[in-house]
Amino acid sequence: MTATPSHRGPLVTVLVPTFNRRRYLAEALRSLAGQTYANFEAVVVNDGGEPVADVVAALADPRFTLIERRDNRGKAASLNEGLARARGSYVAYLDDDDLYYPAHLAALLDALQAGGGCGAAYTDLYKVHCRVRPDGSRQVLGKIVNVSRDFDRFLICHFNHVLHVSLMHRRDLLDRTGPYNERLRVLVDWDMTRRLAFFTDFRHVPRVTGEYYAPVGPSDRLSYRQRLQRQAYLEQVLAVRTTRPAKPWPKMPDLAIILLAGRMDARAAGVLRQALLWTFMPYRVYLPLAAEDASRLRTDAPVVAVAPVAAGAGRAECLDAALGAADADFAAVVPPGVAPGLLWVEDALHAAVTSGAADRTAFLIRCAAGAPPWADADWPPVVLRLDALRRARAAAAGAPLAHALRAAGIAVRPPCDGERALQFDRLLQQAQAMEAEGNWAQAAWRYERLRARWANHRWMDERAARALFRAGGRDRQALELVRRLNRAQPTVDTLLLEAKLLRRGGAGDEAAALLERAEQILSGKALP
Amino acid sequence: MRLGSDGFVVEEGLDQHYEVLKELGDCHTALGHFDRARQCYEEAALLAPDNPGPHVGRGVIGLECGSMDEAERAFREALDADAACAEAWAGLAMVFQQRRQFSDAFEMYMKCLQRDPDNLAALLGLFQASRQMGTFARVIGYLEAYLDRHPGDASVLFCLASLYARDGRLREAEDALQAVLALLPESGDAAALLDEVRRRLAASPAEAHRP
Repeated sequence: MTATPSHRGPLVTVLVPTFNRRRYLAEALRSLAGQTYANFEAVVVNDGGEPVADVVAALADPRFTLIERRDNRGKAASLNEGLARARGSYVAYLDDDDLYYPAHLAALLDALQAGGGCGAAYTDLYKVHCRVRPDGSRQVLGKIVNVSRDFDRFLICHFNHVLHVSLMHRRDLLDRTGPYNERLRVLVDWDMTRRLAFFTDFRHVPRVTGEYYAPVGPSDRLSYRQRLQRQAYLEQVLAVRTTRPAKPWPKMPDLAIILLAGRMDARAAGVLRQALLWTFMPYRVYLPLAAEDASRLRTDAPVVAVAPVAAGAGRAECLDAALGAADADFAAVVPPGVAPGLLWVEDALHAAVTSGAADRTAFLIRCAAGAPPWADADWPPVVLRLDALRRARAAAAGAPLAHALRAAGIAVRPPCDGERALQFDRLLQQAQAMEAEGNWAQAAWRYERLRARWANHRWMDERAARALFRAGGRDRQALELVRRLNRAQPTVDTLLLEAKLLRRGGAGDEAAALLERAEQILSGKALP
Repeated sequence: MRLGSDGFVVEEGLDQHYEVLKELGDCHTALGHFDRARQCYEEAALLAPDNPGPHVGRGVIGLECGSMDEAERAFREALDADAACAEAWAGLAMVFQQRRQFSDAFEMYMKCLQRDPDNLAALLGLFQASRQMGTFARVIGYLEAYLDRHPGDASVLFCLASLYARDGRLREAEDALQAVLALLPESGDAAALLDEVRRRLAASPAEAHRP
């Protein structure tokens, strides 16, 4: 049964940048035209590729507008041009070789209008592995839900777990984030999702509402080709990570890394480099330096600021100078003597952000493994709230950091496991290692624990069911789990797993029915 | 998404469509829907031309339908795709066994077991072929090796006991049958064979006193 399209509700602008993919564009646009939520405008932007006017015209749908550009300026420029024409209250995205299922826009809009203050929402998508035949047609090898991850603000600063094609957000948020960054050749999407995360929460709808294609072997995708050029790629990564939209940031903590280098020597340069490389959350490094040392500083990183001090200034003066300049929610104090190896402030920052006692606790930073954590007990490397640090300085002006913290009643301790950043991912990797070693029952238990503590319910249930199936002797439990998933929304993987379990239990006819359904999804004859 | 030990994302699902079609083919074969099963195997073979699985599936359909030529052709295609495919060797052996070419069947079962010593169908096929041919020594070795790994497998233990009995190794046959009855106290075949073995032992005092 086909749902009657709904014309009621806010206008949604769907941006469709395209470049030399005429063959797939027609199908992508048809999937948009067939949405159950009908109140949208589509802006197709041809980024200087082969003409597509006939493809758009063939739809004979006044909701579609085409911007034809002769020069190829990249995806970010296309999106900005499309946004300049956008009239919708919400913005969604469709790449020229991807597909929406009919309820895609409706599902996202429902999530955004459900309350809770989320200005952005995203669904799950099938990643379609395919082989491209010489005539350009695609042979489907598999449809998997590669990413089904609840929103995690720390993670979005490390890794883009929100696919752009699955995203819808309020258009007015772009007034805060600024436009797409046209200097980027890759990671354009991640740069924008990361910036959106400064201003809004995201709602995850764990439901498959579309497909994106991943051809096997070398790809024509720009992102694939650019990643082959490692140095250039890393520069783009750093450019994304050091982007700081205009304040205030209602949702994102800002970190001031106060590097008490003393002198700008090779050791200090090494520590600074580590901070730049290994800090993923937004930050600015404050370097209290005398004029002579400041002149030796060689960096074009936009997140490094010098706090001028007199020659020969002591640590306490340096710290106070940096504190005077710092504008952030949290401070990481990195004293001299930290070895220029690993400098990982994220765990301590995560602990400080999530701790209920952030006003009274400073969390120790993890430094180079094997070396003493810091050279001087009076100057521990810590992360704490910036206002707490100021309070401590006021409580014991001129005193070493440890004394000042004590005077202000601020305890110093390392973050415990549950407070560390990306702990879910660490435990997930352990579970996957258990699977690799054949410890399926143990892995299943771990997935159940992860589900209980960190949500990601659908994803964890699926992994647990698969592990239970492989463990043997736990089929009843596995079947219960996978049936629950299939009742909510079957995917190819969950149908296949339930079929295997049923077949093992002797219910071949039921298994065949599930597999027929999986085959229909794979061949595009049915939606999940 | 799965991360490898190096922290990079491991691609999953590249053979998912193949797996669905192969599994579907197997299901339909088991249900006797051979036309649909054939169709699934053919589509699966297009997705993974180097995988012997769909050919083995078609071979099994041939066996089920009594079409030995179709079965042989399919199993040989499976072996062209992967000469180490134990299931294809076992299938080919069954074709020869059906044609009462026991010596060829025996050789094919042996090839299967060299690649997969735990292949139960091949073990039992080997047992049947050897009974037809009257040669036991090589089979006994395979069954003993299998039972070292799967000591609780009563069906193989029973086969071994009957081979011992036919080979005149009555004391070993008696031990094996007692083990079968410990696992399956209701087994009438094992009880009957044990009675027969004990009668023969009683009738042959020298054998009875052999340690």
